[in-house]
Amino acid sequence: MNPRKRSLVSHVLALPSALWMLGALVIPTLFIVWVSFWTTRTFSLESPLGLLNYTKFFNRPTYVKLLADTVQQSLLLMAITVVLGYAIAYFVVMKVRQPALQLGLFLALVIPFWTSVLIRTIAWIPFLGVTGVINQALLFLRVVDEPVSVFLYSRTGITLAQVSFYTLLATGPVVYTLRNIPPSLPEAARSLKATPLRVFWRITVPLTLPGILIGQILVFLNVMADFATASAIGGNKHAFLGNIVILLYDSGQLPFASVIAVLLMLCMLGGVAALLKVVDIRRLGVP
Amino acid sequence: MADHDLELKRVTKRFGSFVAVRDLSLAVEHGQFVCLLGPSGCGKTTTLRVIAGLEDADEGEVWISGVRMNDVPPWKRDIAMMFQDFALFPHMTVRKQVGFGLEMLGRPKEEIRRRVGETLATFEISPLAERKPDTLSGGQKQRVALARALITQPRILLLDEPIGSLDFSLREAVMLELKDVQRRLGVTFIWVTHDQNEALALGDRVVVMNHARIEQVGTPEAIFERPLTRFVASFIQGNNVFEGVVESVEGDCVRIRTPVGSFAVPPRDGGPPPPGANVSFSVRAALLTERPGPEQANRLPATCHAVEYLGSIRRYDLRLEDRRSIKYEQFGAQAARIREGEVVTLGWQVEDGILHAPPEGAG
Amino acid sequence: MIRWQTRQKVVKGALGGVTLLFLAYQWFPMLTMAVLSFTGPNGGTTFPMQDVSLHWYRELLRVQMVDDFKPPMLRSLLLALACSVTTAALSLAAAQAMRARFRGNGAFFYLILLGVMAPGLLVGFGVAVVARILGLPLAWYTTTFAVHIVWTLPFGFLTMLAAFNRFDRRLEEAALTLRANRWTTFWRITFPLVLPGVIGAGLFGFTLSYDEFARSFFSTGSEMTLPLVIFAQFDRQLQPTLYAIGTATTVISLTTVAVFAILFRLVRLRTRAAVSAETQ
Repeated sequence: MNPRKRSLVSHVLALPSALWMLGALVIPTLFIVWVSFWTTRTFSLESPLGLLNYTKFFNRPTYVKLLADTVQQSLLLMAITVVLGYAIAYFVVMKVRQPALQLGLFLALVIPFWTSVLIRTIAWIPFLGVTGVINQALLFLRVVDEPVSVFLYSRTGITLAQVSFYTLLATGPVVYTLRNIPPSLPEAARSLKATPLRVFWRITVPLTLPGILIGQILVFLNVMADFATASAIGGNKHAFLGNIVILLYDSGQLPFASVIAVLLMLCMLGGVAALLKVVDIRRLGVP
Repeated sequence: MADHDLELKRVTKRFGSFVAVRDLSLAVEHGQFVCLLGPSGCGKTTTLRVIAGLEDADEGEVWISGVRMNDVPPWKRDIAMMFQDFALFPHMTVRKQVGFGLEMLGRPKEEIRRRVGETLATFEISPLAERKPDTLSGGQKQRVALARALITQPRILLLDEPIGSLDFSLREAVMLELKDVQRRLGVTFIWVTHDQNEALALGDRVVVMNHARIEQVGTPEAIFERPLTRFVASFIQGNNVFEGVVESVEGDCVRIRTPVGSFAVPPRDGGPPPPGANVSFSVRAALLTERPGPEQANRLPATCHAVEYLGSIRRYDLRLEDRRSIKYEQFGAQAARIREGEVVTLGWQVEDGILHAPPEGAG
Repeated sequence: MIRWQTRQKVVKGALGGVTLLFLAYQWFPMLTMAVLSFTGPNGGTTFPMQDVSLHWYRELLRVQMVDDFKPPMLRSLLLALACSVTTAALSLAAAQAMRARFRGNGAFFYLILLGVMAPGLLVGFGVAVVARILGLPLAWYTTTFAVHIVWTLPFGFLTMLAAFNRFDRRLEEAALTLRANRWTTFWRITFPLVLPGVIGAGLFGFTLSYDEFARSFFSTGSEMTLPLVIFAQFDRQLQPTLYAIGTATTVISLTTVAVFAILFRLVRLRTRAAVSAETQ
């Protein structure tokens, strides 16, 4: 088969996937952007275009605060997961010698991901409530005299649940990059008078930086768009941008909902752009 | 008496139930070039790592410059190490790498900059200063690794098969370069290899190891000409090894009966083995002759199986009655070629046979 | 002066403690839910449990409940099956295309990977908007299906890429020199050897779709998938039935993974045995 025909075959093979992604992802996104510029309040195809809905958003302090809250929550989760995720990754890759134990730990960490996040979210309820497991434990241990209501229907509860969901996103890429460090590198550093702490900061961390960044981006994206956790655990008292989109959609205010969606997307693109500057994702796939 | 640079006192290291190094003792003087030679798994690399502090000895002691090192971590030992894969830090430029050790030692920035510049010039890698390791060739990486190690002025440099991953054509040149560096700087080198050509060419002293133990320590000449044990004789190329039983001892001569004949071998220092003992001995291929005269009391008939031309040496693979191979070397083009299938009688002088020490634990 | 080896051990212990605590943190809620699902008829949604029984599981199967949970579960399973097959097929084609390094394959790669980056909320919302504009109805077997594939395809794609990475090109070249054309070579040589990857892609397609909630949220019509029904139920009232269905569906998810994993290993072992038999 000559090269030209081979290239044709490749294009044909790639076409279905490309069309699917374009049709179900790219084009809807473009539509969202279009709708966000509609100046009507409700659905109307002939709507004139303008920045009306955007100004409406930024003029309402509650909405701007919502944006800030969502970003803040994402940053909080990033801060927690970067440390926690790295600690777990470091332990499993560097400190566990027996391969069977390593595999066991990996499985134990990863298996929950093969279940529904919704179920895991629901499973947190019995923990957090006033009659929940945490409170019962606290009462039992006499740490408090009365049940603490701070867990359920609160930011704290949402954060607690999100840490359990998203830490693995930070751990995974770090595990991958840690494994790619030849063992002779830390040894060489040690023979060059570096203490274990300095080996960690000067050799290990820089070499795993791509993994850290990818993990952080994944956490960022997921928390920014998370509405299920806020909805289930926060009750109706707490909302992030995602919840507002749902609210507006349900009440038929598509243009405004689209504005929020676009703002969410812009925040995310900003994060991804920052990543692509620092590491080449494609090269990570090739050992 | 000056302290030894390095002293290993009855060091044992186990990995689970596997004994990597058993009861090993060794003393190295300052400025020596020592080669640890042996097959894979003999414990030479483990020994090196114990010296470096990358492994802890389970038993025994490690002394460097007269100071006990057992509880001293690697970064506090006066050593530097070179690895087989060079272990260059991928995220640092050559300049930063070479300066790394000095940085860890807390030297002032000015001093680091100056010394790095000097070292780069010494090893002729100044043009590579701003490059990252993945853009360097094997030989260049080698020099950077060396510069990085030596800039800290260690007492001992440990080298783990340092030229094993270089192209064959480069190895010889790099070998000689390293020998030269060692001589100029006077640093004690401990070089681990499985390649006897390296060891015999480079070392002031060669330590032959096998199965977690030292078989023999000596100069390259001693190892080559007077192998002490059966293993050393078989490991070092160019020896023919025989096994047999002691028939009798007559004065300066031990008579040994083997499946292919009866031979006279001089006894070792320390007295001859008793009759009936299982022994082994060896004769170098170069000391055999196919026209034995009266001095070559030991005779051995053999059939020519194959011949290898190596320039001015012809190396023959001759077969004995029991179909074992005997190596025989002929020098010079004048000697008549033995043809395949031809039967010759080899002979050698009694004093050219080397009786081996019995393996440890044997009767 | 603490020995440095001791210090290392302390660090190891601390990190190990953190890891184990996190493991417990991750597993406890689910295990608690599983335990609570066996509570008796008078039991509430938290401890202490009254009796131990299969009451709530039986509740699931009662006629009333059947309307609530059974059709959605069937829909979820069918959808997952469809996603599994489609993901496997598309991933195989896409990864095979990538091997030829055609023009624009860099953009293609990122296009597919976009599916991982795009959060479910936005993708679902986007499809809902498009459907509204075009006047199309939302349904689980059209719009939801489309959205699910956007999510599962990148995972399957990466799995297939890894599988092809491990594949030795020279086996194909050998077949070609033995007079096989490319079509035959692919199906007789390449495909059997990357089959584990295909199974992996199928696994992703199935479980990611079956468990998927956020993406289904906007794009499904009135006939809902199981996670949506669970969420709606949860909004109304929290009952142990929810724990029962939650536990049950999790068991289904995990069993599927186990089945796929076993299949995966069997295929791998068989290929490895065949290859080593050939090279003996």
